[in-house]
Order: sequence, then structure tokens, then C-alpha cells
Amino acid sequence: MAWSNDEDRRPDEDEAEEELDETDYKTQKDAVLFAIDVSPSMLQRPPPARDAGKKKGDDDSPIAAALKCAYQFMQQRIIAQPKDLMGILFFNTERSKFREEARSGSGYPHCYLFSDLDVPAAEDVKRLKALVEEGEDPDEALVPAKEKASMANVLFCANQIFTTNAPNFGSRRLFIITDNDNPHGGDKTAKSSAAVRAKDLYDLGVVIELFPIAQSDKKFDLSKFYDDVIYRDPATEAGSSDEVKTSRSGDGLSLLGSLLSNINSKQTPKRSYFSKLSFELAPNLTISVNGYMLLHRQTPARTCYVWLGGEQAQLAQSETVKLDSATRIVDTSEVKKAFKFGGDYIYFKPEELATLKNFGSKVLRLIGFKPRSKLPTWASVKKSTFIFPTEEAYVGSTRVFSALWQKLLDSDKVGIAWFVARANANPVMVAIVPSRGPGDDNDDNNDYDADGRPSGRVPYLPAGLWLVPLPFADDVREVELSAPHRPPDELTDKMHPIVKNLQLPKAMYNPLRYPNPSLQWHYKVLQAMALEEELPEQEEKDDATVPKHRQIDKRVGGYMAEWKDLLAQKARGLMQHRAVKREAEDEADAGAKPLAKRPKPAAPAGARLTNAQLKVAMEQDTLKKLTVAELREILASKGVSAVGKKADLVEKLEQWIEEHV
Amino acid sequence: MADKEATVYIVDLGESMADCHNGRTESDLVFAMRYVWDKLSATVAANRKTWTVGVVGLNTDDTANPQDEQGLEGYEHISVLHELGPITRSSLKSLRSTIQPSRTHGGDAISAVVVATSMIEVFTKKLKYKRRIVLVTNGESPIDDESSDEVAARLNECNIELVVIGVDFDDPEYGFKEEDKSRAKRNNEETLRRLVEQCKDGVFGTMAQAVEELAVPRIKPVRPFKAYDGPLTLGDPDRYQSALAFHVERYFKTKRAAPPSASTVVSSSMDRPGPSQTQTLDGDLDTEDVEFSGVKQMRSYKVNDPDAPGGKRDVKFEDLAKGYQYGRTVVPFSESDFNVTKFDTKKSFSILGFVPWSSYREFLNMGETGLIVAQKHNEEAELGLSALINTLHELESYAVARYVQKDGVQPQILLLKPNPATEDSFECLYDVPLPFAEDVRTYQFPPLDKVLTVTGNVLKEHRLLPSKDLKEAMSNFVDAMDISDMDVDEHGNPVEYAPIDELYNPTIHRLNQAIRARAVDEEAPIDAPADILLRFSNPPQKLLDKAKAEIAALIDAAEVKKVPEKAQGWRGRKETVKPLSGLDIDALLSEKPRKTISSENAIPEFKQMLSTAADDATVESAAKQMGEIVRKLIRDSFADVLYPRAAENLRVMREELIALELPGLYNKYVAGLKKSILSGELDGDRREMWFRHVVAGRLGLITKDESEVSEVTAEEAKAFATSIN
Repeated sequence: MAWSNDEDRRPDEDEAEEELDETDYKTQKDAVLFAIDVSPSMLQRPPPARDAGKKKGDDDSPIAAALKCAYQFMQQRIIAQPKDLMGILFFNTERSKFREEARSGSGYPHCYLFSDLDVPAAEDVKRLKALVEEGEDPDEALVPAKEKASMANVLFCANQIFTTNAPNFGSRRLFIITDNDNPHGGDKTAKSSAAVRAKDLYDLGVVIELFPIAQSDKKFDLSKFYDDVIYRDPATEAGSSDEVKTSRSGDGLSLLGSLLSNINSKQTPKRSYFSKLSFELAPNLTISVNGYMLLHRQTPARTCYVWLGGEQAQLAQSETVKLDSATRIVDTSEVKKAFKFGGDYIYFKPEELATLKNFGSKVLRLIGFKPRSKLPTWASVKKSTFIFPTEEAYVGSTRVFSALWQKLLDSDKVGIAWFVARANANPVMVAIVPSRGPGDDNDDNNDYDADGRPSGRVPYLPAGLWLVPLPFADDVREVELSAPHRPPDELTDKMHPIVKNLQLPKAMYNPLRYPNPSLQWHYKVLQAMALEEELPEQEEKDDATVPKHRQIDKRVGGYMAEWKDLLAQKARGLMQHRAVKREAEDEADAGAKPLAKRPKPAAPAGARLTNAQLKVAMEQDTLKKLTVAELREILASKGVSAVGKKADLVEKLEQWIEEHV
Repeated sequence: MADKEATVYIVDLGESMADCHNGRTESDLVFAMRYVWDKLSATVAANRKTWTVGVVGLNTDDTANPQDEQGLEGYEHISVLHELGPITRSSLKSLRSTIQPSRTHGGDAISAVVVATSMIEVFTKKLKYKRRIVLVTNGESPIDDESSDEVAARLNECNIELVVIGVDFDDPEYGFKEEDKSRAKRNNEETLRRLVEQCKDGVFGTMAQAVEELAVPRIKPVRPFKAYDGPLTLGDPDRYQSALAFHVERYFKTKRAAPPSASTVVSSSMDRPGPSQTQTLDGDLDTEDVEFSGVKQMRSYKVNDPDAPGGKRDVKFEDLAKGYQYGRTVVPFSESDFNVTKFDTKKSFSILGFVPWSSYREFLNMGETGLIVAQKHNEEAELGLSALINTLHELESYAVARYVQKDGVQPQILLLKPNPATEDSFECLYDVPLPFAEDVRTYQFPPLDKVLTVTGNVLKEHRLLPSKDLKEAMSNFVDAMDISDMDVDEHGNPVEYAPIDELYNPTIHRLNQAIRARAVDEEAPIDAPADILLRFSNPPQKLLDKAKAEIAALIDAAEVKKVPEKAQGWRGRKETVKPLSGLDIDALLSEKPRKTISSENAIPEFKQMLSTAADDATVESAAKQMGEIVRKLIRDSFADVLYPRAAENLRVMREELIALELPGLYNKYVAGLKKSILSGELDGDRREMWFRHVVAGRLGLITKDESEVSEVTAEEAKAFATSIN
């Protein structure tokens, strides 16, 4: 999926001023180097489809599938993770190439660096596209070598690429795509030198992700070679299901599809938002948890300024200087932070500000439990944080966490807690809500638990606990409206079949089915502009969020038509009833007061004017006879901002009347 | 809210106000002024021209009021200290010096009310105002109650609210009674109470309560904002006859309130060129009184130009186009490109379908809640929306809708939840935004209810999984710690603990409170946060006492052990690192212990040399070699190209030497490195390496906090990092 790194490092605006956590000082950027095996078997196309199990069009050679994956990976990340690096290295190639500087006889025989580890440019995308789609290979990079490359050498080559191009990246990953589970056969020396080079990579902080391809019915046997090379990611806990998945064609899935899904699951490195946070369940009972932002609103990158005066469009870097009221340039050391206060400034020393922001150390401290039903349905202000136990600070955290998770699910309860995410972060109150996780593949329809309660299974999110920020009293808007409850009636009954027949697929909202249409459109346009391709047409917009109107009409059109008639009839009834009532009231009023005192139709006070009366007043140009206070009252009752001079207010009201009456 | 206000505060400055009573260590005046200053500073902070304030001193040594000037009797020792009008911080400051206890008690409180009343009358004329008089007194000076009926009638006539807050006045409702009250004070209290009771709008209270309530955060009311006014549709009314459309209005139900943000300012009085002679003569410049003024930002733009000095040159803003970055490539977008490629949307609000409540959990919420009601005076919308709300409620369903607030705005997916007048006292739909596909990050986590082994077995019993005992203890604990009915009200009904209307944002209110305090008194120290703001930072003691047994049982069953700080993190596990096969690489490596470190593969070789080192001499040698490599990288770096790599090597060296408890070795090296960098001996100006990478990357001296054996304090390390010698 698509994530911007800047957003990642600064998860929230209000936390922007906060000091960075220890884990943040290393640049939290990701560098991925694809190492693709170019052996004769990788180049071999599968025989034409024989059995029904194979999908039509599954005629990619393993290398073509690998390249297509790399191409898609590059396309996605160039837009969504524009600061992250990517490179492509072929091995077992006849030709050897490493960087421009011609080394004496290349240090890495049979390794071909197709694109160096860097932020990809449009040219890189084009070159890879030409190779993938047109098979353009002017340099004959994809010619297999007669003798195999040494894996130790391949790994060291990768080591050097990472050391020089991504020395201080928080995440560095080597993606190896190969169909050969035993590159060195029985050659023990070659195997152990590869193992040593793999350890080098581990010590350097590079994670090796293997994407094995199994040819036809053969098994890719890790124990033959790769078990000595691959290390478990130090960040994952014991008991993790972080296994190496083999890609193959079959079971209705093409080799490409299978490889794509395996690679996509590693698209973003797992980054925690906070780590080893103390979760205090009770005095003297603390466990440690890591936090993750699994849900995060993705927005298009900001625009930048481009200088077009040179041969090539160039990014203009902006610098800001601060000027005081006398337009003198102010040095950063003179600058202070102060609060506006009635046209004046109130100043606190930095240490005083720090004291003011300090509400104790970072912690998640439980203060009690409530049934989930006690949370008001409107209690939402911002996205939630996922937490998962870690044994790193407290041994036993996982089992306690698991017990709590189980209990909250079973009793449909939530925890209420005080939460300070990082040192000096603003404290918030959160509800701790469990997610059940995707469950096993075989109990897909497990919507209810053993007791018949809804299971709340959210299959696209993992099992764990969520910190749902609760609104503060300050965040709740008082909206005063008069919409008394109407008891259900015939209209309600007749609406049941409409709602029942329009359930979303699998009776849930699965976000994965709804890509953000404006974001996708932006990506498409940007890519077309960058690669100088034809712009997509507005009509070609894919928008899964547009309701399926034809289906709605087909399924419940009849019910809706019938219901509409009933509504019209009921509404007429209500309107007449109200008219009669109003007349009665008017008469009562008229009885109490002398007739002469009844207000003229064009100028009764305040918000009691009906829309029709307002319209008349506008046509007669008598709106301006209303006082400012009355105008304000009317505008406020229409939800229009009542700021400005009288003339502005009249204008605003006229505009409202024109639009709405 | 936006109404105009006119408030006159009458402050008793009589000599008795200087005394302390009832065990307080502050004088009555200081005590009473806590309330008044808070109100005044809140008014200043609001910075509204239409919120006007006047201040009248009662029992002042002097007399200064229009009534007295007109020769009326009984208006002695009453002074108008601040005429009714907008109040600024400077008036606040001058009030601070005038509000001091006097040496008299001859003023009459009711006369002061008359003074205030006429101030309001004169100022507000017949305009729409919220009028109020606030009298604070300890009621010790005599009051003439002869004209109180008349005064009350006049207050009512002018629509003025009278608030009397007395120091140590009795208030049975609040539960305060002064035992040794003087007869005079009792009489005065009675007189004032009667006056208030005669008023249409009146409040009579005791100061202790008023001061206590100051701590209760005041929430800034916000006028409801209508975000959408248009149809909510099911089906497409333009294409299908059957489609439904209700005219609805959408407001915000929640909106995050932000703490006040600090502006960037400079203290202007210090740096300006000295004032001219005449100004110095007539303006008495208070040197203590530093003026702040705002700062403007000016942007300049630069592009790379190898021919320009420094490799960069300025470009004019007018010559720049907007664009986006596509990887390394920048893609200019002209105005027309933006127009052509804009994602075209039309204002709309249409239902996609329905889902059962059980398919939703609160953590799917992506933001603030909206509130949807039918358009006013629209019977069809009223009845239609009501039927939808009732149906959703009866079928335990939510609607999922696509929402485009206005033309050209990005679509959002909203979940519509029915509220048949159960939560707010009116019928509406609440809506919360849901995530799109791009907003979901697919990280893998192991399951919580089982353990999968490498070989693919499923374990149901494991140290990572709770035992039966633990599960049971947890269940009892959760039930015992329930706060949904922890308290009961006076009618014996359960009261929920920590409901949302009692959760105040601690950051906002603490900051606002401190700003107000400092506006009144620049010397004011920073108070500890008010108790009410920290109320929910810990579980209530009552609950902990009640659940004592369950907590103890849970602690027993959990057997949680803290990992000693030193063993935490990656270092603690270092010894056991092995590839999946379990092959002992270290053994393979230690067959031939490493003696040298190459620049190309420095980090792995450094780590490996340390892990096989048998003595300190080897460690020192490794550190020395690594240090030389770092220096060489800096020296050989073309501009800053190799700095990140040098910094990374340095970071590893630092980390490893902390783990080996040899901080001195690193500290000595880094001190030398700094000297080399700043003296320019590493081929030119390498200061950027020091400040951007070493200091900003926190690679300076290892402190005591990081390694117990270090002798460097955090302050020393900071000073070392930033000094330039």
C-alpha cells in the first residue's frame, strides 16, 4: 500500500513540535534492492496451458514475472513513498556491470547492476518499462552466464550498494528472487563463505527477504542453502508467522499473481509508531507494548516549486528568513515563542513551556473498564493506534496482553485509559478496543461467536488492541436542534426491505475494495505527465465509491417507488395538520392582542420569519429594515456565518434565500 | 457568544480586605481578586471589542465618581478605576497597581451598585447588550439599605444581572458557614442577599465556591457550522424514478479543539536602534518591560547551479512553476494542467449500501463525527429521514455513504449511525469517516490465541499464551475494575465514571490558565496542573481498594518480570543471533579471529572483531581502526557525500562501546574528532559533519544516563556538543 514517509515520521500535527523518539534519529527511510536470478530456467517460458487449473495468459517466464513485479513495485513506491530508494541487481548474468567507474575486471563477476540504489527517476521507470513490456535489452543484461555467480559475491555486492547508497537508512532490505534452491550444490566452501557474507549483511542491518519461485511441481527446499542465509527479523517476536512463501503458478493463480501478492505484503517495512511503551494495568502490574499506525489517511504529496529556466526542470529549494516589524533579518537565536493575548504577547521561558506541556512520562495507564455499549456512538475525533505486546521490556507481556484481549472480546468490554504516546506528547483519553483479527481461512463466515454475539471480525486488520482516542468535552460541539423523536410507523416498516436488500458484500465495509478515487486519479495523472504519456480521460476514472445505482434500482426499485408514494402522502398530511395548527395559534394570538398590533408580513422580528416571508421581504427589498441583531439571528438559524457589517449580512441572507427558497 | 457584553466589577478595597481570615494565608483581597483577575484576563484573552468591562473600587481612600461630582450624597470612597470599555493587557497592568487595600471603610456597597448601573446605562444606551454587575466584598463595611428596593427596580428595568460574591458569606447549598461572624457582617450579608433576591437576574454566592470553580475548565462555545445542505440520496434521482432523496443538513458533532499555539516573536525593545533624544526624555522606558513583536517570514528560492559560487543560485519566485515530484524527476504542472487533471466531483451525498452493527468497531473511525438532520420546515425530509433512522435502529444496521461536501472536493466514505433521540435529545444520524484502501497498512502480526512454530505446528499452550489461571484472573480483574456504575447519585442510580463531558483537555486548559495568570502577573510562577485536569490520569483509589484482591491475583498469575535496562534491545539478544538453520556463524568466524577492519565492510567487520575479541587490547584496536576509517571518510568526502556513511560508522561504534561498557574509549575519540573537524585538518570546512550529523544525530559524548560507567553528565555532553572551541 501507499504511504508517505514524512507523514510517518510526523504522525500528527499537534505533535509536530515534540522531540523525536530515540528510534527516530536514524532516518526512517526504506531502501529495497531487488536481486533477480538470471538463470536459463528463470528465462524459460512455461509450456502452453495443458490443464484447466492454469489460467489463460499465464505464460510469463519467471524472470518476466519478477521484472513485472519490480516494475509495479517501482511505480507504486515512486509516488507513494517518494523518498525511498530502490535498485535492481541481476545475478548469474553473462555480462558484469557495477556502477560507471570501470573497475579493473569488475569486482563482482556475473552481477549486473541494472539500476543503482536511488530514488527512482522517470528515466528509470521508462527503462524498466521498456525491458518489461517491449523486451528491450540493448545491453544484453538478461543473458545467462555459462558459469554461476558466487552467492558470496552477490551478497557482498549488495552489501556495498547499501553501504554506499543508503548508509543510515532505518530500513534496508534485499529482495532475492530465484528458482534455484541450491546454487552451490555440494560446494561447502562456497556455501560457508555465502553464510559469512550473509552475516555481514545482518550485522550491517540489511534484512534479506527471499521470494522463491517453484518450477512446476518441485519444492523449493530452504534447508539446502537459504536457511544459512536468512535471519529472522530481529523486530518480530517469537511465534511469528513470518514465514518465507514460495510463489508458483497453479490453483487458479498465475505465477505473476502469486509473486505479486508475496512481494506486495512486504511493500512497506513494518515501522512502529512507538516502542516499549509501558502499559500499566494496575499499580505494580506493567507490561510493554509497541504501537503501530495501521490506519492512516493517505493524501497526495504536496506540490513543490519548479524552476524551468534551465535545460531540465529543477526543484527549487526554498529558504526562509524571518523579518521583524522593521524588516530587519532576525537571527534564529533571537526568536522566541510567545502566546497572543488580547493583542499582546505572553512569554514563557522554554523550560517553563516544557513544564506546562509535561503531564508525566509516556505511559498507557488503565483507569477502568466499561461495556463497549457505553461509548457514545459519536465518540470519534481521530484515527486509532494499534498496539501489540513486546517481551522486550517486560517478560510475560504477551500472555497478559492475550488474556486481556480475550476477555475484552468475550465480554464485549473496553478499557478506558490515560495515554501519553511519547515524552511531552499531549495526553489523551482512549478506549482500548479489541480487534478479533482475520481468523483462519476456513471460518470465513464466522460472524457470531459461540454465544451468538456478533464477532466483530474485521478480516483486513490483525488481532490486537486499539487505542481509540475519546473526544474531550472541549471537542464536542453543542448543536441545538429541534427534531423530536418520531416513533416508528408504517414508513419505517416499509423501509425494512429496502435496507435489508442493499447489504454491502459480505455484510461489511471492506476498505480494500474502495481505493480513494481522487488519490488514484492524482497518481495516474502524475505518472502520465512524468513519463510523457497520454493523459487519462476523465471518463476513464475508476471510482469504486460511486454507488451501483442500476443495481439499487433493480433490487429495491419497486419498494422504493411504493415507499415514496407513501412518504408524499404522509408529508401532505403533516403539512396540512401544521397549517391548521398554525392558524389556530394565530387566531389565539389575534384574540389576545388588538389586530392593529399584528406585525406586517414583511417585517416581523427575527428567526420567526418563514422562508416564504423572507423571500417576499427580499423581493420587496425590505430585508434591510431588519436590525443587525435580527439579521444575525436569522443567519445563525440558517447556519450561515453572521459576521460582517449590516450590508454584508443582508447580502448573505439574500444569497441564502436565492439558493434555498 | 458573539453578543455584546457590558460588565462592571465592583471590588471592595476596604482596610479589612487586607486581613486574612478563616485560616487562609492570603488576604481577603488577594483571595477575592483570584476570581476577578481570572474573569478580567479571560476577557482580555478573548480580545473582543464588544466585550466591555468597567471596574469600580469600593472603600477607596479617594472618591472619583460622577454621582459624587454632581454633589449627590452617600457616594464617598467610591472610585471608577476603569471606565466601561474594552480592556487590554496594559489596562490590566495598571489596574494591578491601583487595586490595593485602602485605609478606609466609609464606602457604601449599594451606592457602588448605583454608580455601576449608571455606567452601564450611559454606555450601552438601548442597544442589545448582556449587562452585568459583579460585586465582590467581605461585607465588613456598613451598608445603607434604605434605597435597595429602588436600586433593584432600576437594575430590573435596565436588564442588568447582579452577581454578589462575598468573602466568607454563608451558603448552605455549597455548605459554607462562618461560625464567628460579626453582627455587622451578618446584617450586611442579609441586606445584599435581599437586594439580589429582588432582582430578575441575580446570583448570590460565597467566594470559596467561586474560586473553587475557577479550576473547572471553561469550554469555548462554538457556533454550529453547517457543513452540508443538500440531498441525501439512495439511488440516482437523475436517472432512476425510484431513487430516494431527502434534503438534509449536516453539522459537526465533534471537532478537535486545539491548544493555543505560540507565535514566533522577537523582543523588539532591545534590538531597535536607540530611541531619539526627545523620546528618551518624555517616554519613561521600563527596561524590565520587554515588548514582543511578531515576525514575518520571507521565502527565497534557490536552484543548483554548478557554475555559481557555492553551487547554488537564487531564482525569482515569478520564474517558478508549481509541480510534483515523481521520484527524482520533477514534473511541472502549469495552471492549465491543473485544470485539466483536476478530479472532477459534484456535491453529493449518496448511500452505497448497508452493513450490520456487528461488522463495525470503533477503531475504524478516521476522524471527527458529523450530525445529520432533516432540512427545517421540510415535511418530506423530516418524515423520510426519521423512517431511515428508525429502520437502521430496528435492523441494527448502519449505512455507508459517499460524501462530497461541495463541487470539486475529494469524496469521503462516511458511516451513518442512527440516533433515535437516545444520545442527543433529538433524532439524527451521526457520521464518522471510514478508511479507503490506501489508508490501510497491511502489517503482519502473529496470532494472539495460538503460537505457530517454524515447522508449521499450532501450539495452544506456550509461555506467550495465557494459562487458564491467568485467563480467569484477568476476567475477574476486568469485571472488578468496571467503572460504568462505580458511583451512585443522590437517587441511588448508578453514575458512570469518566463520561466524556467530564474529560477536559489537560493541555488546553493548563496552558490557558497559565497564560491568564501570567497576563495578570508577569512574575507568576508556573502552577502544578489543577487536580481536575489530572483526575483521570490514574485509576480512582476507591476502585483500586475494591478490586484489591483481584489485582493481587492477577499479578500472581501474570508473573511479569521487568527486563533489566542493560539487557534490553538488540544488544541483549546479540549472542544468540543465528540464521534459520541455526548454523553457528560466529564459530565459523572465530576460527580465524579478525585483526583488521576494511573501510568497505567496516560495520560488519567491526562488530565481528568485537564479538570475537578476547581482550581489551583487541577492542581498542578495533575502535582505533574504526575511528581512522571515520576520519578518512570525512577527509575524502566530496562536500557532504560521505557524511552519512561516516555518521553510521560512528553510530555503530558508539552503540557497541556502550554495550561493552567502554564509554571512555568513545568519548576520548569523539573529543579528538571534534577538534580535528573544527580545526579544519580533515581537508577543509567539515563543520556540517559535526553539527548536522554528530550533534543532531546524537552521536556526541556518551553520558552517565546511557552508560553507568561514563563520567560525563548530560549537561556536559550538551555543552560539549554545541560549543565551538
